[in-house]
Amino acid sequence: MTGKQRKQFWNVIQITLILIAAFIMLIPIIWIFLAAFKTHVDVYQLKLFFTPTLENFGTVFDAPYNLGNKLINSTIVAGVTVLFAIPIATCAAYSFSRFRLRFETSMLVMILATQFVPAVVIILPFFVMFRDLGLLDTRLGLIMVNLAIVMPFAIWMIKGFIDGIPLETEEAAMVDGSTRVQVIRNIVLPMAAPGLFTAGIFCFIIAWNEFLFALILTNKDAVTLPIGLALFKAEEGDLWNLLSAAGIIIMLPMFILALIIRKYFVQGMTMGAVR
Amino acid sequence: MRDNKLKYILVLPAIIVVFATAVWPLIESLRLSFTVGRLTKPNFPQGYLGWENYTWAFMEEPAFWNSVEVTVLYTLITVILTTLIALGLAMLLAPGGRLRGGVQTLLILPFAMSPALIGVSFRFMFNPEFGLFDAFFGVVIPPLAEISWLSDPTLAFVVCVMADVWGWIPFLTLVLIGGLASIPQDTIEAAQVDGASSWRVFKDITLPQLVPVLAVVLILKAIFSLKTFDQIYMLTNGGPGTATQTLSHYIYFSGMKYGQIGYSASVAWVMVIPMILLTFLYARYVFQKR
Amino acid sequence: MAQVLLKNITKRWGDFVGVDNQSLAVADKEFLVLLGPSGCGKTTTMRMIAGLEEPTSGEIWIGDHVVNDDLPKDRDVAMVFQNYGLYPHMTIYDNIAYPLKVRGTPKADIKPRVEKAAEQVELTEFLHRKPKALSGGQRQRVALARAIVRTPKVFLMDEPLSNLDAKLRVTMRAELKHLSRQLQITTVYVTHDQIEAMTLADRVAVMEKGVIRQLGTPDEIYNDPSNLFVAGFIGSPAMNLINGSVKDGYFITTGGTRLVKVDGGDRAKVILGVRAEDVDIHESGQGDIDVLVYAYENTGESVMLTLQFGKQRIIAKGDRHLRKDMDDVVGLRVNPDHLYLFDSETEERIRY
Repeated sequence: MTGKQRKQFWNVIQITLILIAAFIMLIPIIWIFLAAFKTHVDVYQLKLFFTPTLENFGTVFDAPYNLGNKLINSTIVAGVTVLFAIPIATCAAYSFSRFRLRFETSMLVMILATQFVPAVVIILPFFVMFRDLGLLDTRLGLIMVNLAIVMPFAIWMIKGFIDGIPLETEEAAMVDGSTRVQVIRNIVLPMAAPGLFTAGIFCFIIAWNEFLFALILTNKDAVTLPIGLALFKAEEGDLWNLLSAAGIIIMLPMFILALIIRKYFVQGMTMGAVR
Repeated sequence: MRDNKLKYILVLPAIIVVFATAVWPLIESLRLSFTVGRLTKPNFPQGYLGWENYTWAFMEEPAFWNSVEVTVLYTLITVILTTLIALGLAMLLAPGGRLRGGVQTLLILPFAMSPALIGVSFRFMFNPEFGLFDAFFGVVIPPLAEISWLSDPTLAFVVCVMADVWGWIPFLTLVLIGGLASIPQDTIEAAQVDGASSWRVFKDITLPQLVPVLAVVLILKAIFSLKTFDQIYMLTNGGPGTATQTLSHYIYFSGMKYGQIGYSASVAWVMVIPMILLTFLYARYVFQKR
Repeated sequence: MAQVLLKNITKRWGDFVGVDNQSLAVADKEFLVLLGPSGCGKTTTMRMIAGLEEPTSGEIWIGDHVVNDDLPKDRDVAMVFQNYGLYPHMTIYDNIAYPLKVRGTPKADIKPRVEKAAEQVELTEFLHRKPKALSGGQRQRVALARAIVRTPKVFLMDEPLSNLDAKLRVTMRAELKHLSRQLQITTVYVTHDQIEAMTLADRVAVMEKGVIRQLGTPDEIYNDPSNLFVAGFIGSPAMNLINGSVKDGYFITTGGTRLVKVDGGDRAKVILGVRAEDVDIHESGQGDIDVLVYAYENTGESVMLTLQFGKQRIIAKGDRHLRKDMDDVVGLRVNPDHLYLFDSETEERIRY
């Protein structure tokens, strides 16, 4: 083979591999999408071609499933978690980014560590405490523990964005006559706004997908969407068409959000280790 | 206000949140691990036992050792498989362009999927009667169609690994693509001009420069593998029997299903120790960068 | 308008000494340039005047106040940053107006003053744009306008021209000079570029390793360097510095060549400084000594010859019509009227 032929040959192999990989990545998602539009009967007959129906999406919102309640719970829990997490994280991130603090490294490692501690360890005392305080199966309780998961991501992510704001800009504002608080309000917040938005979405996704805490702390009133998946078990087995419709309701909004902030996903997840 | 006061005021709320939501429960767990801690009995946590919960786990509980074994095996296999496949995929996708860029974007999707939902979808696909795999293998290799994947201990474990690898490849790939992009292109071009083959360029130039990113990826994946719970719960719920019961799942079961909070807290703390080591390893890379 | 006074200023970070017990008085309306290589403490000195850095010890005076404990905003200084420090989310108008707004200037006052500042730096037509839409030179002007929009006691400029390309730098330098003459405000200007220092300054402070090595007019630091560092740092190409000794009224190189007649008595270890333009080139045999051409460079306006005798090399600037080649032999004569002798140990100038 000539050099050119060899190059073409490799190119074809590469593209084939990429397409196979993309296909494998998509299969489970496609499978769920197909099943969600199938009737009960079609699911069990493994049809690839079928008449799509929207019936499943109606059914999941009716009794006894009432997915609407779970949707509201998930939205409120994830939303309020973010509303608390982002301002708190922004203050801390600014301080970590711009000042030298005593025990700064210890604090940052501690924040990092909270993300790595297994959730089951944290949840045991919370369960006991919430049981005593009557916070079991409440959104408030769930929001509190979700803050624990979201906080380290938010702090590290926002710190990354603030690190990216040139120090000179802030210094210019100070020489121009601003107090530190004015600098934060007039310069840092507007410049970091896209970053705060990104971090907010990232944390929303994490809180939305959270499973273990909701599994342990809720059973009826405050059940979130991922836990709601367990509803679709009947005597005769799983109701796959309904499960799939619910799955779409869980993942589709997150797909859209994830695509909006896709450039920052990796940065957020690795918490400062990869830029 | 002077900066040296303000800077502590700014971090205070976050530190309080982290203390209340992570440090306190961690310490409280440690305390509970030395108690009887039966949820169903009155006067919780019913007094201190000393190390008895720990010795019980280590000496008397085959289920504990089983879950340690499952977790270690699961972590080793998923870390190695995911990293290798992600490295290959990253090499394939790194050059960019329309097709590769498009696939990179697709990679975000599994990443934004709830792990619980990943568990559900794999359970669905491996359903013996109407799962995707039976449909597929039934046509290609008919004997395989009869296999009931999730009722066989080994195959159930394999399916769990597949679901995990599927869910994590995208993230690792994206990190590694970022790592590849940060390697100065001129070092690679210099090696090419010096006459190195593609393989030598990869082995001698690319890989050594990718080591810091690979280390980060390995540690991060190891941490998340050790913690695995959501998708196992939805996929096999630890079964069949205890064939896929990871430590997290075991802790959940003994704590929440059997109400043995004291005992499960002690097992949880056994798990915290390797986590702390990994965290410090990880922190070294984070602070090296600065 | 005000003078700036530094009294025994020291800045330390742990063991590292950034500025070492330095004092400096900048007169009212003076244009003072802090010049030195990177890491010499010149930017730190300026940042301490601005209040962006706290001195470890010593006093800083602006006008007749000690400002050590004042925040930057209370010092009434204006600063132009190396990367301009523009506010990317504000329009040019808002950028220039910010120092006024944040100080609570009445709205009616702001507009005419912003417009006047913009006019002075020829930015009037760009006021509604954002910094991103401007070229480097234009951004530079915005930073300037933001500084001149109010009348501060002191202007601080931290390498303001270093991010511009060579051509633009020359134009902006002239504009800056014009503007500073017009405004008559005390200015401290930091640069590592000696041409900027020479052309802009009333006085130059040459810094090295946290210490001001010489403070004087541009003429003084070029023609009358008081130590080896200043002699070597100022001038392009750098001054030839040759190790040797003085014996019987002549300078003898370490290699033993009797180079040139000098004043003063015998001295064992000295360094002779001579600028390239004070080294004359003659035909072989017609100079004091014969030397070999090591390299010949034609820059267009002149030629540079690197000449070698023994292990010693010396750079000479010659007429632009001179043509030589590598390994040619030429005669060399050092002009005895413009020589500098330095003590090898103390590196201080030896004067007679």
